[in-house]
Amino acid sequence: MRGADYVLKRLVFAVLTVFIAVTINFALFRLAPGSAVTNLARVPHATPQTRLALKRQFGLDKSKFQQYVIYLQQLAHGNLGISFANSQPVSANLRTALINTIPMVFLGTLFAIVLGTITGIISAWRRGTKAEGASIVTALTFYSMPTHWLGLMLVILFAGVLPTGGMSNEFLINPSFTTHVRDLAEHIALPALTLGLVLYGEYTLIVRSAMLETLGEDYVLTARAKGLKPWAVLRRHALRNAMLPITTLIALSLGYIVAGAILIETVFSWPGIGRAVYDAVLQRDYPMLQGAFLVLTISVVFFNLIADLLYFRLDPRITE
Amino acid sequence: MTKWLAVLATAILAVGLVGYATKASGSGANAKAGGTFRMGTSSRIDSLNPYVAFNQDAYNTFEYVYPFLVQYDKTNSKFVSDFATSWKPTDGGKTWTFKTRSGAKWTDGQPLTAKDAAWTITTDLKYAAGGAANAAGLVAHIKSAKAPNANTLVVRYSKAPGNVLGQFQQLAILPQHIWSQHTGNKGTNLKTFSNNPLVGAGPFKLVKFKKDDIALFQRNGSFYGEKPKADAFGLQMFSNEDALVAALKAHQIDAIEAVPGTAIKTLKNAGFNVRSTAGVDQTDFIINSNAKKSGHRELLNLKVKAAMAHAIDRKQIVRVVFLGYARPASSIVPAATGAWANPAVKPESFNLALANKLLDQAGFKKGSDGIRVAGGHKMAYDVITPTDVPSTNRTFQILQPDFKKIGIQLRQRSLDSTAAFDAITTPDNRYLKFDLALWDWVGLIDPDFMLSVVTCAQYGGWSDSGFCDKGYDAMYSQQQLTPNQAKRKALVWKMQRYLQAKRPYIWLAAQDAVWAVSKNWGGLVASPQGPFNSINKLSLSRVHQQ
Repeated sequence: MRGADYVLKRLVFAVLTVFIAVTINFALFRLAPGSAVTNLARVPHATPQTRLALKRQFGLDKSKFQQYVIYLQQLAHGNLGISFANSQPVSANLRTALINTIPMVFLGTLFAIVLGTITGIISAWRRGTKAEGASIVTALTFYSMPTHWLGLMLVILFAGVLPTGGMSNEFLINPSFTTHVRDLAEHIALPALTLGLVLYGEYTLIVRSAMLETLGEDYVLTARAKGLKPWAVLRRHALRNAMLPITTLIALSLGYIVAGAILIETVFSWPGIGRAVYDAVLQRDYPMLQGAFLVLTISVVFFNLIADLLYFRLDPRITE
Repeated sequence: MTKWLAVLATAILAVGLVGYATKASGSGANAKAGGTFRMGTSSRIDSLNPYVAFNQDAYNTFEYVYPFLVQYDKTNSKFVSDFATSWKPTDGGKTWTFKTRSGAKWTDGQPLTAKDAAWTITTDLKYAAGGAANAAGLVAHIKSAKAPNANTLVVRYSKAPGNVLGQFQQLAILPQHIWSQHTGNKGTNLKTFSNNPLVGAGPFKLVKFKKDDIALFQRNGSFYGEKPKADAFGLQMFSNEDALVAALKAHQIDAIEAVPGTAIKTLKNAGFNVRSTAGVDQTDFIINSNAKKSGHRELLNLKVKAAMAHAIDRKQIVRVVFLGYARPASSIVPAATGAWANPAVKPESFNLALANKLLDQAGFKKGSDGIRVAGGHKMAYDVITPTDVPSTNRTFQILQPDFKKIGIQLRQRSLDSTAAFDAITTPDNRYLKFDLALWDWVGLIDPDFMLSVVTCAQYGGWSDSGFCDKGYDAMYSQQQLTPNQAKRKALVWKMQRYLQAKRPYIWLAAQDAVWAVSKNWGGLVASPQGPFNSINKLSLSRVHQQ
């Protein structure tokens, strides 16, 4: 029963968070200086009628409260609205951008999780050795590197070897499946690698810290005293108990996958959600911004909820 | 499904790609005779819909996929045939009759006739205050457009305009059989139509478009005019200029539409042909010229404005900011537009002594800190600079110390362009608060648009100077309604002199259009807008392998 209460509370909290975020998103972008209409009407042939027409078309001639009510009504019908910038449904714009972003960010995050976990475990297990020092210094170096700088360095380093821009070679005519896959792999390598390298340091530090904590516990000493093999001590006793903070970090990272990576997408000309949001900010494309932040909010809240539920499963103390 | 499988397989494969290295191959690029000309750009095609599009590359695309009545010749000085083969004004210039091509076809095989042109103009007129508002300025003063037969278009005006061909050179003719299905909701649906796949009738047909990524055009075999030499043309969009340059050096693309100044030397050294020509993009120093502004009214004093003009070292701006790929600017009509620019309007000399003298004469004495005092306050002003015009940062760094030498203190206020424009027009489009700004303008060949931006009617629209002068507005209207082009030119020249005297803008530098192309390709036609432009259909029709 206490378990059901816990799950219900988390669910209610998640729904409330989404609603509050929706309201803040609506207000926040409208507080920014600059008018969407003035911006969009700056084409060479624009007349005062153009601006009036745009205002009416986007409903910006209505009061802020009316706009908010209309926005909530549309949301209730699953309608994210029409982009001010290209007059296409926001859902279609977001879908295209997300399809482009998710594989790249997922791959980079996965790389970071795997590499960070391995280096974190090694650092903790080999505490006080050169291996730990090298691992920590490398992790911290990458962690502190500005993402766009690292991306640019990789562009310079791999120019002529791997593609430096775009998602694929669109000039290939009727490529075979294998050629297409290879082409996609070549294009995704550098942006995913950049993201992975920048992120993995954080995993290294968290995993190392969690592992050090559990390795100092009495039950680990007992396991060693019982004559268990080092690998068994590490896997069954230390790593398993260090999973809680690692789970949180992974869940949070996965939640941010849909946010894309603005700097990486810009450096590598990756037409993803990060760039779409950046453009929307510059153009004051409120519906696009609201849609993108709604998706991001839901994603973060969802993965936090998953983390909470996993905690519930992983940590019996919560149910006590 | 295939795409998802490919993405999944890619994700798995890429994990092992960290150490992967192979020479990038362009083998698939030139699979056909004639080849695919691959151009990289840091700009973007924001929409395929002419009623929505904003970016210049979108308008460049329309030039190559849609018919226009006329286009400029290769010297950009006179109008030549596009879809119209001849034209004749009658009734004192109030009626224009165009003869159009016969046997022309849209890319879906439907006939392209003068009726499509008449429908486009009529639709733009009908929905000028709604879905077609973007094109409203192009059909100003038109009363009706009719096609008495398939090859004749008759356009009637309420007054004889002075720039009929200049306006039609910018008006894409749309296929009636496609677009007439999207006029619902009182014309608003014109804007929500994605227009992809695009049915056109230009020298190229758009076969692939991925926003912010790629636009691929194939030669249109049924085009009514000069057939392109290349089989296809692709525009790859980059959001990072270093990656763009790296892609050219690695031969992943064949050309760069607009080369960043810092990469010119590198590309020349790498053996690429780097070409440049005088451009129509000019940077400017804006002085709030609204006579009703509340504070810092000394900036309305023409002597102060003249002093500022003499405190600007344009040669240094050209040398440092644009690395020599620009020319000192002086007039609202760029010199690259040819005969429309008044050669008598020259840049002011860089003369700090003269600037100081002018300010002394105006009665603004220097304080103990060297900053002059006007009306009880220091002559210290914010200069708004838009972040998306990076040249404004370095330009400000050049202006600031020189202005200090004449007793004027400048502070930079950097804002994104939407916020910057808001800061200029505030409150409520009355231009009361701002003092100075740095920005740029990209002119068209016909001067009408540039001359319009300082009219009173542009308050809240294009105006970024708060300039409103009834005498100037009268001249503007007069040039619009002067069909005799020699007389119109004299008026346009007079307006440029007038603006230089009133100085809502101090023009700084006209940037060159600079592009780079692989030695394997030739034939691109130079224009002030670069090799991919909305001036005519020549450049990409003539580009060829060599």
